[in-house]
Amino acid sequence: MADAAVALNQPGRRRPRGPLTSAWTGYALAGPALLVMVAIFLYPLGYSFVMSFFRWDLSAPSAPFIGLNNYKETLTSPLFQQSLRNQLIFTAATITIEVTAGMGVAVLINGKMRGLRAARTLLLIPPMIAPAVVGLNFRWLFNSQYGFIDALLTDLHLPAIPWLSDPNWALASIIIADVWQNTPLMVLLFLAGLQSLPQEPLEAAAVDGASPWQIFWYITLPLMRAVIVIALMLRIIDTFRTFDVVWLMTQGGPGGASSLVTVYAYLLAFQGVDFGHAAAVSYIALAISLVLLGVLYGLPWLRER
Amino acid sequence: MAATSEERVAAGSVEVLQPPRRPFQVGLAARYAVLIGTIVLTLFPLVWLVITSLRVPSDIFAVPVHIIPASVTWRQYVNVFTQYNLAGYLWNTIIVSLATVVCVTVLAVPCAYAMARFRLPGHRVIVALLLIMRMIPVVALAIPLFAVFASLGLLDTLTSLILAHTAAKLPVAIWLLIGFVQDVPKEIEESAAMDGAGTLRTLVQIVTPLIAPGLGASAVITFLFTWNDLLIALTLASSENAQTLPVGLTNFVSQYGVDWGAMSAAGVLMVIPTLIFVWFAQGLLVKGLVTGAVRG
Repeated sequence: MADAAVALNQPGRRRPRGPLTSAWTGYALAGPALLVMVAIFLYPLGYSFVMSFFRWDLSAPSAPFIGLNNYKETLTSPLFQQSLRNQLIFTAATITIEVTAGMGVAVLINGKMRGLRAARTLLLIPPMIAPAVVGLNFRWLFNSQYGFIDALLTDLHLPAIPWLSDPNWALASIIIADVWQNTPLMVLLFLAGLQSLPQEPLEAAAVDGASPWQIFWYITLPLMRAVIVIALMLRIIDTFRTFDVVWLMTQGGPGGASSLVTVYAYLLAFQGVDFGHAAAVSYIALAISLVLLGVLYGLPWLRER
Repeated sequence: MAATSEERVAAGSVEVLQPPRRPFQVGLAARYAVLIGTIVLTLFPLVWLVITSLRVPSDIFAVPVHIIPASVTWRQYVNVFTQYNLAGYLWNTIIVSLATVVCVTVLAVPCAYAMARFRLPGHRVIVALLLIMRMIPVVALAIPLFAVFASLGLLDTLTSLILAHTAAKLPVAIWLLIGFVQDVPKEIEESAAMDGAGTLRTLVQIVTPLIAPGLGASAVITFLFTWNDLLIALTLASSENAQTLPVGLTNFVSQYGVDWGAMSAAGVLMVIPTLIFVWFAQGLLVKGLVTGAVRG
């Protein structure tokens, strides 16, 4: 009280910190949002975490505690192992292609280019349109009878590929659709990164006669480290959330050949009515993506400053 | 700007050194080829979607496939409203998306303000939770939400969709807005406080206008991600009472076989708001995505 009085009397000497630092006012402001997130996000998540240790079947009258059984059975299930293998291939392939191609395109089109502004606008379209639409569109492009891609392959005297019906190609089809949708985002992210780089080291290297490739490899790439880490983190998180594209293209088929962990969890819960296993699957997926992020964070090249 | 400074460097050093190459001068022609190739690859699938939606049925199932349609028709765009319930899906999607934007904005602004400006006990815990919520696969949330809303009798209602989306989109919106509040000079609020403005008035009348670009970015991103969502609506909406456009797309497949023309028309209609936002709010979108990326 005395402090407040001093603050009021001598505003020049002491800043009124009271209202800006009061925890109660802060919580009153943050409270509604925190309450909503706890009630509709964290509580259901915690609930499903607890229920992942029970035999949780919405149609059954009771749910007995079964310890780690859901996790054990999930980890040994061939369908889960298939989905997990697909997931890891999907994550590795999309990230490798998207980050490499995104960086290549960004480096090449960075600078004074006519039409770059327009290109940046157009590049924003794929990442922002609904993945469901991307899925349906690629399903049509990959159609083996009337699809554009096989027609093009035939015109080029290449063998047509049974994209979505062949177990060996279904996952590749989904990877292609994801690469189409997300590579432009990587280009935009890397373009923004390139444009905020200091120009002096690049100019000095050019003056010293370094080749464009040397400049890229020894100067640009290390300077872009932070942006690359962000891109990798974003993509790891998002590949483990991918569902819509797969659902519209293959629903995980044929025979689970293009199923990702989210698709497997969804099918377990809403076609198998096996919520316990589905919850276990989603927590295993979350754990794996956290481990990958941890590995990424621990890589020495990425940590150097 | 960078180019002009490079040119100045070049001009100054012409007499002393050989003219320095610009970095990454791989050959302008090759670079333009990459630029044009990227644009073509980006646009072609969308152009194909539009072309498919304009074809007559016999042309859709023509072998060999030809790029230019034999004749153009708007019939599919009429069909989706007369033979399919696109109007219902559209209405549900608009209501859910707009209501989510309103709820998220009203809740996120004071929360972000408190997080940026107040010493909240547990601040670190809240930040950690926001990040974890950003990482959670939607399906992990959808499974228990189904059980919770089932017990509340809220399944298959727009209310359940709005509640679920509000909770799911809040973490990113708060995260985004914290950054914008932090960029507001503290002195402005302090002088407002000295003039006798209460916290709420400072927030509404002083801070909110100053973070308008942040509000725009978070609103546009919340709207588009809600508009695009398939999984939450697929889980919680079982009938046309609450089904949204992305779920409607799946109905084109299972219920009526695959009606490619109508489905493409529905896809085109669904993408139009996205194109409008990309065109008119690309600055906000990039800012939101990049800030969200950098912070999330």
